[in-house]
Amino acid sequence: MFTNATRLIALALAAGAALALGVFVGGAPLAPGDVAYALLHPHAAGDANAIVWSLRVPRVAIAAVVGIALAVAGFLLQGMLRNPLVDPFLTGVSAGAGAAIAIAVAAGVAAPFVPALGFISGLGTALLVALLARRGSGIDAERLILAGVSLTALFAAIVALVLTRLARNGSDEILAWLAGSLAGRGWNELGWAAPYALAGLALALLTVPSLNALRLGSAIARAIGVDVVRAQWMLLASATLLTAAAVSLSGTIGFVGLIVPHLARRVVGTDGRIALVASAFIGATLVPLADALSRSLFPPIEIPLGVLLAFIGVPTFLYLYLRPAGATRLWGT
Amino acid sequence: MGHLTLRGVRLAIGERTLLDAIDLDVRPGELVAIVGPNGVGKTTLLRATAAFVPPAAGQILIDGAELSTRSRSERARAVTLIGGNVEAPHGMSVREVVVTGRFAHRAWWDWMVGDSDLFAADAALERVALGPLRDRPFDTLSSGERQRAWLALALAQDARVMLLDEPTSHLDARYAVEILTLLLDLARDGRAVVTVLHDLNEAAAIADRIAVLGQGTLLAYDKPATALDPAILERAFGIAFDRVSLDGGTRVLARGPRSPRYPTDLPQAPSAGH
Repeated sequence: MFTNATRLIALALAAGAALALGVFVGGAPLAPGDVAYALLHPHAAGDANAIVWSLRVPRVAIAAVVGIALAVAGFLLQGMLRNPLVDPFLTGVSAGAGAAIAIAVAAGVAAPFVPALGFISGLGTALLVALLARRGSGIDAERLILAGVSLTALFAAIVALVLTRLARNGSDEILAWLAGSLAGRGWNELGWAAPYALAGLALALLTVPSLNALRLGSAIARAIGVDVVRAQWMLLASATLLTAAAVSLSGTIGFVGLIVPHLARRVVGTDGRIALVASAFIGATLVPLADALSRSLFPPIEIPLGVLLAFIGVPTFLYLYLRPAGATRLWGT
Repeated sequence: MGHLTLRGVRLAIGERTLLDAIDLDVRPGELVAIVGPNGVGKTTLLRATAAFVPPAAGQILIDGAELSTRSRSERARAVTLIGGNVEAPHGMSVREVVVTGRFAHRAWWDWMVGDSDLFAADAALERVALGPLRDRPFDTLSSGERQRAWLALALAQDARVMLLDEPTSHLDARYAVEILTLLLDLARDGRAVVTVLHDLNEAAAIADRIAVLGQGTLLAYDKPATALDPAILERAFGIAFDRVSLDGGTRVLARGPRSPRYPTDLPQAPSAGH
């Protein structure tokens, strides 16, 4: 018998452990003592210090931001559309970002500008999907899904065209974006994307009470005083900002936004106020953990993060949901 | 107290007028049943009354103030609408569902469910006799219990005007009577309760007044004995009715192929939808 407070504390500790692990493991063999010394003395000189502070810490922080952003975005969209199969890429953000990134790389745009172009294109695509999904002043769930799926297919075709016919060089870089990776990301990228992720998160926190009421369906939600239209637009804006920030940092990391909300609801139930926080903690555990694995399983080769997450996540997900007693919670009741 | 007034209300879907010239006055403590054929606009009338959709013309007033001038949360504290066939939410306890009804009593961004909210939810659950089931998952409730839980949500919301769309549609006779009795009880507290009912005799059994909708307008709005006039019902539904008196109460029977007075001398009944 655990209370939800205990569960949240356990999830927070797990996230902390995953972040610590991410700092202590990596391609360069550093003794744990050296890592700890560097962490405690940020301004000391030395190789260990440089590796820890300019490579590992920012990378772990980025992994956490990506994990939180995708998990929360997935949670918001699944709740808003009342559809457990929705993931944050449904709104076309990643497809739009991917197409822009592929074109930018093929056209030889300087590397620092590539994530920004992806971010802008992702936002633009999501806006287009939202406009297509409009019915009256609100958003129609079915239209949103149809528009998102269609535009995603269109942008995937653009990426395929770029990869097969246009990208004489740079196709490796494009593929790395598509497979999802944190290789080479640092403080600059984080500083650039974090404000958008934070804005998305703030919007999410503001909208959670309405999202909670939407669990009863939009008819009851309206009757009890929820501004359903405002809630829909805020949820969509929040999910889009979070997803675009994540995609511009890590490329396309699928699955986190789909599975983490399910895990969170398994652990703490469906109350959005608690499940959102739980989603954030699980996202901040899963992505740094997978990133640490991707760096340390076969050094110096990094397995693409998106690939690794799918390898771990899909069997877990199938086990949880397709076993006969799939309706039970993870940790008792 | 809740006093609902509709003055000259016209409802339209696009260019098509659904209902016109609707005048209704529901006093505090009164229970009014709305009856009429499928597709006549009963649900739309409730939705307009709850300010979900604006009327094409006319005024809808609660306690003398026009709804459209109020803020969203003021409206939710004045009127609520519990629709028919509401899907049961998953993974929520009965109490969680009911306490959600307190939404309009907090700021929309406020996360905290306060003690007063829990107190209101628990009192509402006691009122509909679901107190012992409050921690049960909502989707394990029977149809009758779910309907009572939705009423508890409306009670927790504390709206002065309660609108219900066919609250008895999936219930057997016993649960239907239970819900209707509860509705009458809630009205007698001083609320104005308006419910759409399919069954004319359920309406006759509980309503203070019955509004008969048909042919795009309000055909009658009166006590059951007067409103359920066979001639009015024939105009509304397009089939013949017989009225019987039962210990001073009124009951009506639609004529069917095996009724003593069938066939009727009415012209062929127009299709009533469905």
